[in-house]
Amino acid sequence: MINLAQKDIKHTLGKFIITAMGVGMLLGIVLIMIGVYRGMIVDAKVLLDDLNVDLWVVQEDTLGPFAEASRIHEDLKNSVRVIDGVEKSVGLTFQNLQLQTSVKPVRVVAVGFNPFDKVNPINPKRLVEGNILTHDHYEIVISDNIGFKLGEEIPIGRNLYRVVGITHGTVSSGGEPLVYISLKDAQELQFSYSNNRIRSDRARGIKDSSSNMPMVNAVVATVRLGYTTDEVAHNIRSTLHKSVYTRAEQRDILTKNLIERASKQIGLFTAILVVVSTIIIALIIYTMTLEKMKEISIMKLIGIPNSMIMKMIVQETLLLGFLAFIFGNLFSHLIYSHFPKRVVLEIPDAWMLFLVIMIASILASLIAIKKVINADPAAAIGG
Amino acid sequence: MAKQAIRVENLIKRFGEGDSLVSVIEGADFLVNKGELVALIAPSGAGKTTLLMMIGCVAEPTSGKIWLGDELVYDNEWLTKEQRKIRREKIGFIFQAHYLIPFLNVIENVTLVSQTNGVSEKESNAFAMELLEYFDIADKAHNLSSELSGGQNQRVAIARALANKPQIILADEPTAALDTERSVSVVQMLKKIALDQDVAIIMVTHDEAMLPFCDHILKIENKKVVSHDVPKSSKLI
Ligand SMILES: Nc1ncnc2c1ncn2[C@@H]1O[C@H](COP(=O)(O)OP(=O)(O)OP(=O)(O)O)[C@@H](O)[C@H]1O
Ligand SMILES: [Mg+2]
Repeated sequence: MINLAQKDIKHTLGKFIITAMGVGMLLGIVLIMIGVYRGMIVDAKVLLDDLNVDLWVVQEDTLGPFAEASRIHEDLKNSVRVIDGVEKSVGLTFQNLQLQTSVKPVRVVAVGFNPFDKVNPINPKRLVEGNILTHDHYEIVISDNIGFKLGEEIPIGRNLYRVVGITHGTVSSGGEPLVYISLKDAQELQFSYSNNRIRSDRARGIKDSSSNMPMVNAVVATVRLGYTTDEVAHNIRSTLHKSVYTRAEQRDILTKNLIERASKQIGLFTAILVVVSTIIIALIIYTMTLEKMKEISIMKLIGIPNSMIMKMIVQETLLLGFLAFIFGNLFSHLIYSHFPKRVVLEIPDAWMLFLVIMIASILASLIAIKKVINADPAAAIGG
Repeated sequence: MAKQAIRVENLIKRFGEGDSLVSVIEGADFLVNKGELVALIAPSGAGKTTLLMMIGCVAEPTSGKIWLGDELVYDNEWLTKEQRKIRREKIGFIFQAHYLIPFLNVIENVTLVSQTNGVSEKESNAFAMELLEYFDIADKAHNLSSELSGGQNQRVAIARALANKPQIILADEPTAALDTERSVSVVQMLKKIALDQDVAIIMVTHDEAMLPFCDHILKIENKKVVSHDVPKSSKLI
């Protein structure tokens, strides 16, 4: 049996392929959008997974440093450490910094930790050059995408920090590059007052109180073998008047609270793009059908059944959708690495889109099919 | 074996309604037998194409009766819903222009209807090649119609009309695009087909020179379709 769709497409192959490429780019953008969302979820978990701690103790009635301001005294770590079931606990700081590179300022998130303590937020697998901090002061480990080299000195606040290590793939939950500095430096940057403030405070008779009570943003703890995180979390909550989150809860805070809105935003964008693609496919198929209207009338006149003509249109639409899907995948894989934030292309997402596009294609062919059914065979010989 | 191929009784065709009513045919009564080549002549706008389209189950008459072979297909209404099936199984159409499908090559154009009728690809291709050889264009079997001359395309169109082995061929000015020599050869060919395949052919023509090849003549006069004998003087010796 003669396949009309195949013959027709062969006849207008170049046009058909270029059309499919155009629609494919649109679908490629849909895939990138989904990839951006997946990337956000991956980014959100990097720091959490690298830290690899079981419990987060944060300022009472707050969701912790990833969601809002949280300040607690550093010595809280000692109170946590003695609680039943706690193995180790340390204080950490998280703060935004603006680093001046030779080109432009870069916004980073700085993690402050005590290099001599038992919790190390730098995942050794991500350390591509140099080593972790070895001194209490003025050393920095930095993400490779910021652009500094090993041994370079970066001015932060009133001091110069020497780059001692370089990491790869380390980002904050918001996708900004991470840097690591010592807890003491971080506390100085975050909590100490400026010289002017101290001078004016002294003049007003206020004693310098900033240095004797060091603060952190969170105290993190690991759980001793034989204890569940939930029971230790409960122990801490009942002893200290602080908010405590398990790692799973902390992950929920990151993904639910911070990413949910973004996912709605991206979901809406994606849906609109899919609808636009459907409309474009429908218009293309409709014009392709209009161009063939005379041939379609002749076919109807010489007795070709509607089913055969409809089959031609549906097959052409499905092929267009399929080719566009292939081009979309090629396109997205070609460009995704050029995006500033992480884009994660996942195969199940591509299949999902495939299904949606195939259904959309069939819907798109409906208006063309209606045109075929209504076509007057006598119009073929137009008199 | 019955000889009747087309019979029409008191066929009426009017377009529109009320003030805009256009009456085209007010009574057609004639009979065409198998093996006959019949000319249909009338001035432009008299309703020749309209009449062919009604016999071909494409346009619906206003009233009357149509038999194709022994089957009554129209009796003030279509007696079957599948006019398209009747068209592809019983009728071959030839038009003034070739109306070949541009994205199909010659042999695909010729075999499209017979393959739709369920004849195997091999069988319909073999028959199509026979027809194309008969029309002397077998070497163009795999070309597109855009690569053929007007006369070649018209011969392909005639081959297409024959490929489904129809009982009836309706030809609307098949020679209008051809020179006299070609026209004569096409009409001779149609006459030969009518005799060889026992097919009834109604051919619209404006060319008196074609009449001698015809068995009788249908004329539309005062909106009536009447059968005439071919004038003796123009009969071929
Ligand atoms: N759909 C229609 N609506 C109204 N009038 C129509 C329609 N189709 C045809 N007619 C009228 O019917 C008449 C016959 O038309 P038809 O095409 O059958 O003429 P014809 O004899 O084939 O002419 P020609 O030799 O020019 O091909 C014309 O007057 C035409 O205007
Ligand atoms: Mg006409």
